[in-house]
Amino acid sequence: MIRSNPEELVRKNIARFVDKEIIPVAQELDNKGEFPREIFEKLARMGIFGIRYPRHKGGAGGNTTLFCIICEEISRGLLSVASITAMQCLMGTNFLFHSGTPEMLDQYFLPAMRGEKIGCFCMTEPDAGSDLGAITTRATEVDDGYLINGMKTWVTDGPEASFYTVMCQTDPTKRLRGIGYFFVPRHFSGVSVSSPFKCLGTRTTPICEVAFKDVLIPKEYRLTPEGQGLNSFLKIIAEIRTMTAALAIGLQRAAMADSIKYANERVASGKPIAKFQLIQAKIANMVTNLEASRLMTYRAAAMIDAGQDALKESTMAKYFATEAACSATDECTRIFAGYGYSMEYTAQRYFRDSRFLLNGGGTHEVLQGNIARWVGL
Amino acid sequence: MNIIVLVKQVPNNTEVKLDPKTGNLIREGVDTIVNPDDLQALETAFTLKETHGATITVLSMGPVQAIDALSEAIGMGADKAILLSDRAFAGADTWATSFTLGKAIQRVEKFDLILTGRQAIDGDTAQVGPQIAEYLDLPQVTYVFDIEKLDTGYVQVKRRLEDGYERIQCSLPAVLTIIGGRSKPRYPEISKLLSACTKRAPIEVWNAADIGVTTAEVGMNGSLTQVIKTFAPKFERQSEFLEGSAASVARDLVERFKRNKLI
Repeated sequence: MIRSNPEELVRKNIARFVDKEIIPVAQELDNKGEFPREIFEKLARMGIFGIRYPRHKGGAGGNTTLFCIICEEISRGLLSVASITAMQCLMGTNFLFHSGTPEMLDQYFLPAMRGEKIGCFCMTEPDAGSDLGAITTRATEVDDGYLINGMKTWVTDGPEASFYTVMCQTDPTKRLRGIGYFFVPRHFSGVSVSSPFKCLGTRTTPICEVAFKDVLIPKEYRLTPEGQGLNSFLKIIAEIRTMTAALAIGLQRAAMADSIKYANERVASGKPIAKFQLIQAKIANMVTNLEASRLMTYRAAAMIDAGQDALKESTMAKYFATEAACSATDECTRIFAGYGYSMEYTAQRYFRDSRFLLNGGGTHEVLQGNIARWVGL
Repeated sequence: MNIIVLVKQVPNNTEVKLDPKTGNLIREGVDTIVNPDDLQALETAFTLKETHGATITVLSMGPVQAIDALSEAIGMGADKAILLSDRAFAGADTWATSFTLGKAIQRVEKFDLILTGRQAIDGDTAQVGPQIAEYLDLPQVTYVFDIEKLDTGYVQVKRRLEDGYERIQCSLPAVLTIIGGRSKPRYPEISKLLSACTKRAPIEVWNAADIGVTTAEVGMNGSLTQVIKTFAPKFERQSEFLEGSAASVARDLVERFKRNKLI
């Protein structure tokens, strides 16, 4: 039976969307620094936000590999649009999908799949990032539900969100074992959202602080059972890291393509700079790192799709692919030389955007520590 | 209402290069797309489906790789798709292509409208749509950019002319060749794209025997024309500066025009 290959078909169609709808406006969007509402709605119409969820529950019936392909392609166009997409597909809706009541799914999840509502994930706090055991946002059980108190920061899409999945501590004595996820609609009393941060890169991705002061939520808005928060976190973190690696691949591809194009066009000493060995060496490194990033990332994605534990593989993929993206974007600015320093060209945007990838899913200093620990250090 | 949309998978013309030695298209590694005018035909069909209700069947002839064009059409909203694929169909000119598609259309139970793009970007002949209409003995309107009315038994359309448009009413069933109109072709939905890749997808593949043709009637054997050579035109500009007085330069120029039979 003759059928299309789903991965190739999805990649081809998303790539076409990116080439036509994102790349031509990427510089303008970045300059404006506004939430890319029009593109977000177009992505919703294509049903992209449901890629990880089963069709019979309002999703598109895809998997992590397809999700990563989409993230990679969109990131090739504009990383900040890809990060918004990733938040809506994964962290912003995942716990709601798995643990929300039918009413919550109707009221929040399905509208999020249609792009009518935006969900996001509140984990980091002013004094707790990678050390999750130190989070202080409390969920206190009361007669008619839970009271949420605390402050979250670096909330991606926070200013635009309609609802938040909030990591809270239920029992500080239990540290990591006491964490859990709670669903908090933005319009609930006691939720306040700061203005968007001014950031170095990914300027269309709004990021902010969200404060919770005596926010009363119903009992069913607890999204992870007692003692299961850490396990849920470990399950999703592998996917977050794999997705981040896919974003890094997209950025590498963009930087590499522009570097090659510019190197072929720019003439110095009577020949295109692409003919100089030192420029060739930079591009050869980009190509090689890209290939390695792909192998590591899609291996981790395939493991997740097979239901295997991919924490180590995803951690190394995220670490490697992101470092490769930082290197490729840096080299891109060097190949562009003076024009790499100009805001008129793409190189500076790639360079700034690459820094976004360093922290999400764990800083590289923490990840390197994890990797070292896994070999007994 | 039943609508048949004819689509063709073509190389993305922004990437096409010719082999300088053989003159053939270099297809390896070249992205393929659904022919842009055919995307407009699909969009027209989806608009009619939304406004009037319709079942859309998409038909294409090509190698097995052309299944992607049909999967995309399903992703955009087509109800079913048929790929005509057989080694015997290879090398068909527009005559043999129209004959083969016409035979396949006769196998589709019932239809009211056949829509297709004005022309394909790889051949630019604009012959297949009209030839199918002739083969099936159906009325045809080419260069359609707007369907104004669709009623029992007739359709009223706007047809693009060089200096304006004409309004035409014709009976159904009919063949319309479509050019870009007001609506931009929609992007496929991911869930439908993925459905199109499954065994249960409503996509059939028909060969020569399925449509009741002999190998002598189709493909290169059934073609009335043959491509002898394909080449890229050379755009070379040769400049020569004529010197002397204005009168002598003018005389020289006239002489050269005559010599080259330009005047």
